[in-house]
Amino acid sequence: MRIYSAASEETLRARKLLKDWHGEGLLSEAQYKLFEQETVSELRTTNVFLRIVLFFFTLIVVAAVGGLFGVTFLRGSSDQTLGIFLVIYAGVCYWAAEIAVSQARLYRYGIEEALAVCSVVCLSLGILLAFFSSYWGRQSGIRSLVPAAGAIASLWIWHRFGLWYAFPSAMVFALYAPDAWASSPAARHVLVALLYAIGLICVIAVRSRHRLDYLERDYSLAEAFLWLGIYLVLNLQLSSLNLRALWVVGGMGAASEFPGWFYWTTWVLIWCVPLVVLARGIRQKDRFVMAVGTTVLILTLVTNKPYLGWPRYTWDPMLLGILLIGGALFIRRWLARGPGGVRAGFTAARLSGKDKQWLNATSAVLGLVTPQSITSSPQTTSADFRFGGGASGGGGAGGDY
Amino acid sequence: MTILTRLEHWKDQGAISPEQEVFLAGLCRGEPLSLFLELNVLLYAGVLAFVAGLGWTVATWSKQLGDVLVLAVLSIILTVCFWYCFSRAPAWSRAQTPAPTVIFDYVLYLGCLVWCLELAYLENRFQVLSGQWDFYLLATAILFFFLAYRFDNRFVLSLALSSLAGWFGLTISRWQFHQDATYRQCALLYCVVIGIGAVLLERRGLKPHFFGTYLNIAANVAFWAVLSGMFDRQGSWLWSFALFVACGASLAWGIKRRQFVFVAYAAVYGYVGFSWILLRNVNDATVAMLYFVITAVAMLVALVRIARRFGKSA
Repeated sequence: MRIYSAASEETLRARKLLKDWHGEGLLSEAQYKLFEQETVSELRTTNVFLRIVLFFFTLIVVAAVGGLFGVTFLRGSSDQTLGIFLVIYAGVCYWAAEIAVSQARLYRYGIEEALAVCSVVCLSLGILLAFFSSYWGRQSGIRSLVPAAGAIASLWIWHRFGLWYAFPSAMVFALYAPDAWASSPAARHVLVALLYAIGLICVIAVRSRHRLDYLERDYSLAEAFLWLGIYLVLNLQLSSLNLRALWVVGGMGAASEFPGWFYWTTWVLIWCVPLVVLARGIRQKDRFVMAVGTTVLILTLVTNKPYLGWPRYTWDPMLLGILLIGGALFIRRWLARGPGGVRAGFTAARLSGKDKQWLNATSAVLGLVTPQSITSSPQTTSADFRFGGGASGGGGAGGDY
Repeated sequence: MTILTRLEHWKDQGAISPEQEVFLAGLCRGEPLSLFLELNVLLYAGVLAFVAGLGWTVATWSKQLGDVLVLAVLSIILTVCFWYCFSRAPAWSRAQTPAPTVIFDYVLYLGCLVWCLELAYLENRFQVLSGQWDFYLLATAILFFFLAYRFDNRFVLSLALSSLAGWFGLTISRWQFHQDATYRQCALLYCVVIGIGAVLLERRGLKPHFFGTYLNIAANVAFWAVLSGMFDRQGSWLWSFALFVACGASLAWGIKRRQFVFVAYAAVYGYVGFSWILLRNVNDATVAMLYFVITAVAMLVALVRIARRFGKSA
C-alpha cells in the first residue's frame, strides 16, 4: 500500500540518525563514513528550502496547465463540465505523483508532494462543481460527499506517500462532513468528536505494531492531531471562534448557542482530556502527544474563565507566565536530581543537535516578531493620555514610526 | 533492517563498542527521552505571557497605580534581570559561548522586553524626548546589540536588528507595497549598513555564528524593497536591474557557500519580480497561462539540476 519500501524508509531514517549522532560527537568520523556507505538509499531527497521552492513551482505548473486547458477548451462551459474536468485532472495529478516516485524515486522532494496535494484539491473542487453546483445539489443530504471525498483522498495520500500534513487536512475535511447530517450545533460537535474518536481508536490500535520502526513518527503525529482535534471540537470557547467574548468581554460567549447540559459536559471534558492526553504521552514516551497534552492544558487554563463567565483580569497572562516558568523549572530540577539526570526514563539534558538548531532558528525569527506581538497599540500624545499598551518601546519597530 | 538491527550488526562487526551500541539503541528507543526542547519552549512561552500581562496591566491600571509604582516595579524587574545576567555570565569571548545557566537566556529576554515596556511608558507619560521615537529605537538597538554580543544571544540580536530597522523607518511586520519611495531607500540603506557591519564583525572574528542571521534579514529586506520598487512602475527598469543583480548575488552566494536558502530567495523573489514585469501589460489569459507553464517548468528543471548538485547537504 505504501509507495516506498520499508527498507528504503528505514535506510533514510538510519542516515538521519547517524548524521545527528555524528554531529553530537557520539560517532567518530571514521565510524560515520563507514556507516554512511552502508546506508545508501536509492530514494532522491533534498534539503528543506529546495523542497519548499519545488513545491511552490509545481503548484504553479499544475494551476497553469489546468488554467490553460480551461481557457482554451472549456471557456463558457457549465459548472458540471468544469467539475468533470477537475475530477479527471485530479486523476492526472495523482498519476503524475505516482510516476514521480516510482520512476524518479523522489522522496519529500516537493514535486510529488505538490502533485498529490493538487489531486486532493482538484478532486474536492471537481465533485463540488460537478454534482452540487445546482439547486438540487445544495438541498440534497448527500452534499457531505464533498468533504467525505476530500477526507478519504487526504487519508489515502497520507497513507500512500507518508505526507504528515495530509492527515490534519483529512481532519479539516471531516469537520464539514456532519453539516448535512445534523442541524443543531451540539449534534455537529458530537458527531465530529465521534469521528475523531473513531480515528483515534484505529490509530492507537495500528501504531502498537509499529513501535520503534520508521512508521512510529507518522502514527505518533496522527494520534497527536486527533487528540488536538477532539479537544478543539469539545472546547466550545475555541471551536465557536467567539474570540471577542473570549478575550475582551470575558463573558460566556458560546454558552447561549448550546444546551446547558452540553455546555457544562464539555467544560468537564476540557479538563479531563488534557490530563488523559498528558498521561498517555508520558506513558508512551511520545513527545508529540505530550506536546499536545501540554498545549491543550494551557488552552484549558486560558479558556476556563470565559467558560465559567468569570471576568478576565489584566494580570491573568502574568500568572499564566509564572505558572509556565515555574512548571518548567520544577520539572527540569526534578529530572536533574535523578541518578544521571534521568528520572522515569526522561531527562532535561539535550541529546540531539536538532533541538539546539530548532532553538537557534526559532529564537532568531521570534526576536523579529515578538516586540510587535506584545506591544502593538499606536501612540497618542493627548494631555489626558492613558498609557496605551506599550507600543513600540524600542525593540518594537513600532507602530507609529 | 531497522536501526536497532543495524546497531546490533555493527556491534557484531566490531565497528562500534558494546557501550556505544547500548547508548545509541537507548536513544532510538527514547531511553531516556530528552525534554530539552519542550522545557525551553515552556520557558519562552512563560516569559512572553508574563510580559504581555505586565504590559496589559500597566496599560489598563497605570492611572490607579500611579507613575511611581509602575516605574518602580518595571525598574526593579529590569535591574534584577540585568544584575542576574551580568553576575552569572562567563568572561566574554569572541567565539560562541553556551548560556551559563538554564534560565539565563530567558532572564535576558525578560529584561529586554521589560526595557521596551518601560521606555514606552516613560515616553507616553512624560514625553521625555517629545515624541522622538527614533532616538528610543536607536538607543534600544545599541543596547540590544551590546547585550547580544556580550551574552551571545540570537534572540536579542534579532530584537536589536528590528529596533535598528525601526530607527531606519522600517516597520518590518507591517510592510506594504506602494509606500513612499523613502521607505525603500531606508530599507536599502538598512541592508547596506547591517550587511557591511556583519562582514566587518565576521572578519574580525566577533561572534561569527551571528553572520547568518544578519545576512538572512538583509537579503529578505533588500528583496522586498526591490520588489516594491518594481511594483511601483516608476523607474521599474532600474529596479528590475537591481533585482537581477540581487538574484545573481544571492544565487552565487547560495551555491558558493552551499546555503540553499539564498538560492531559494533568488528563485522565488526573482520569479515574482520578473513575472510581474513581463505580465503586467498582458491581458490575454491564454498567454499568461502559457507563460506560467513554460517558466515554472523551466524553474523546476533548473532547481532540480541545482538540487542534484547540492544533494541534501545544504
